[in-house]
Amino acid sequence: MPGWHGATLQLETEGKIRTVGIIQEQHPDRARLFMQWKGMDWPIFVDALDLLEVAVVPITVFVDEHGIVRQVSPRPADLAGFVARDFAPAAASEDTANRLGLADLAALAVAVEARVPSGLEGRPDAEQAAAWKAHAQTLFLWGGADELDTAIEAFEKAVDLEPADGQARFQLGVAVRRRYDSPRRRAGDFQRAVDQWSRALGLDPNQYIWRRRIQQYGPRLAKPYPFYDWVERARAEIRTRGETPVELVAEPGAAEIASPAKSFENAKGLEEPDPGGRILRDERGFVSVEKTVVPGTVVAGGPARLHLVFRPNASIKAHWNNEAEDLEVWLEAPPGWEVDRPLIRVPNPPQPVSRETRIVEVEVRSPDSATGSVTLSAYALYYVCEDVKGTCLYRRQDIAVAVAVE
Amino acid sequence: MSASSWFLAGLFLLGAAAGAADKPHPFVVGEPVPELLLPSAEDGRPRLLAEFLGSKLVLHVFASW
Repeated sequence: MPGWHGATLQLETEGKIRTVGIIQEQHPDRARLFMQWKGMDWPIFVDALDLLEVAVVPITVFVDEHGIVRQVSPRPADLAGFVARDFAPAAASEDTANRLGLADLAALAVAVEARVPSGLEGRPDAEQAAAWKAHAQTLFLWGGADELDTAIEAFEKAVDLEPADGQARFQLGVAVRRRYDSPRRRAGDFQRAVDQWSRALGLDPNQYIWRRRIQQYGPRLAKPYPFYDWVERARAEIRTRGETPVELVAEPGAAEIASPAKSFENAKGLEEPDPGGRILRDERGFVSVEKTVVPGTVVAGGPARLHLVFRPNASIKAHWNNEAEDLEVWLEAPPGWEVDRPLIRVPNPPQPVSRETRIVEVEVRSPDSATGSVTLSAYALYYVCEDVKGTCLYRRQDIAVAVAVE
Repeated sequence: MSASSWFLAGLFLLGAAAGAADKPHPFVVGEPVPELLLPSAEDGRPRLLAEFLGSKLVLHVFASW
C-alpha cells in the first residue's frame, strides 16, 4: 500500500482519482495505526467479517467513474493509462435503482432492533440459516457492543442449521474473539473463536484470510511472517513526529509479534521449580487460568501454541505481590512431545502490587504417532495477596491442557 | 427474507457459493463493483462505497500484516 500511496498522492491532490481502503483484520484499529504511521489518510471501510469474501490480500482494483471494475491487481505503472482513459458507461451502471442508497442507512436501526429474522417458519433449513447469518451480520456490524451477544447467538443458530457454512463459522469466530477482547468477555471465548476458524478452514482450505486468522495467534513453526512486529516501531516514529499514536483496543500478543521459526529452542538445563509438588495449591482461586490451544485441532506431528491467561480474582480483590518471585510456568511434555521452552517466567512489574492480566504462551509439537485427545500437564507458581492489606501467599496451580490431535 | 434486508446486512450479490480456490475475490472486469455498506474505520459509522463513485477510484483491499 505505501508503494501505491506514493503513486496516487499527486493524482488525489489534483482530484483525478480517489482512494478507498477495505481492511480485512480482526483488529481494525491496528490498520488505523498502520495508516497513521505511513501517512495514508484515505477513507477505510472495516470488513472484519470478510463480507467481501476475498481469500487473499492485498488486492488493488481500478473502478471507473461509472462504478465499473476496469482492472484487478494492476501495477502502479498502469495508473496513468487508467486516469487518462474516458470510459463509456456500461449498460448495468445506468440502472441505479438496485444499488444501495443513503435511504438504506436510515433503515439500519430498524434492522438492528429486530430481535429475530422474520418469516422463517416452515422455510428450509438452508434458507433459515442464511437469514440467521444475515441477521447476525447486521447485529455485529451495526448493533455495537450491546448487541454482540445477540449477534453471536444468531451466528450459532446459523451454523447449527447449516454446519457446512464455512463463512458463518469464520464470522462466528470473529464475533466471539471480539467479545474476548471486550469487557463482556466470557470464559472460553478465545478457544471458541479458534475452534470455529479451524472448522471453517477445514471446509475451505484455500481461504487464506481464514488461515491467516489462525496463524496470527498460532505457533511459530506454522507462521508465515510476524504479523504485528511493526507496532512498536510505528508508535515510536509517530511520537517522534509529535503525534499521538492511535490507541489499540487489544495489544498484540506474543504470538502476533513472533517471527516464524524452523525449529524449537528445545531449551535444556532448565530446573523444574517444584518437582515434588510441595508448594501449596491455590485452593481459594486467587488466580484464574484460561487456556487456549491454537490451532484448535493439531495435526499429528504438527505444532500448537498454548495461551495461558492468568487473571487475579477480582471478587476477592486478589492481586499479584511483585516483591517476591516472578510468575513461573512449567510445562511437562508427554512422551514423544516437544516443548519449546518448558519453563517460562513473567517478570514482575516494578510496583509492589498489581492486578493486571498476565499471559504465558508456550509452543509444543506433537509426535507423528499422536492421536485423539492428549493432556499436557503444567503448573504455575505465583505470589498473590488477598485484598489490599490481606494475606500474601506463594501458591501453585496445576493446569491440564487438553489438545485434540487429528 | 426481503431484498432490502439482504442489503442492510451488507451482503454482496455473488451468486452461488463457491470455494476460495474458485473465486478468490468478487471483482469482475467490466462488471459493477460490489455494493458496499460497511463501518468506517474512523468512527464506526456506516459508509457506502457509492459515496465515492463518480470519480475514478483506486480500491485497496488489504491488511496491515
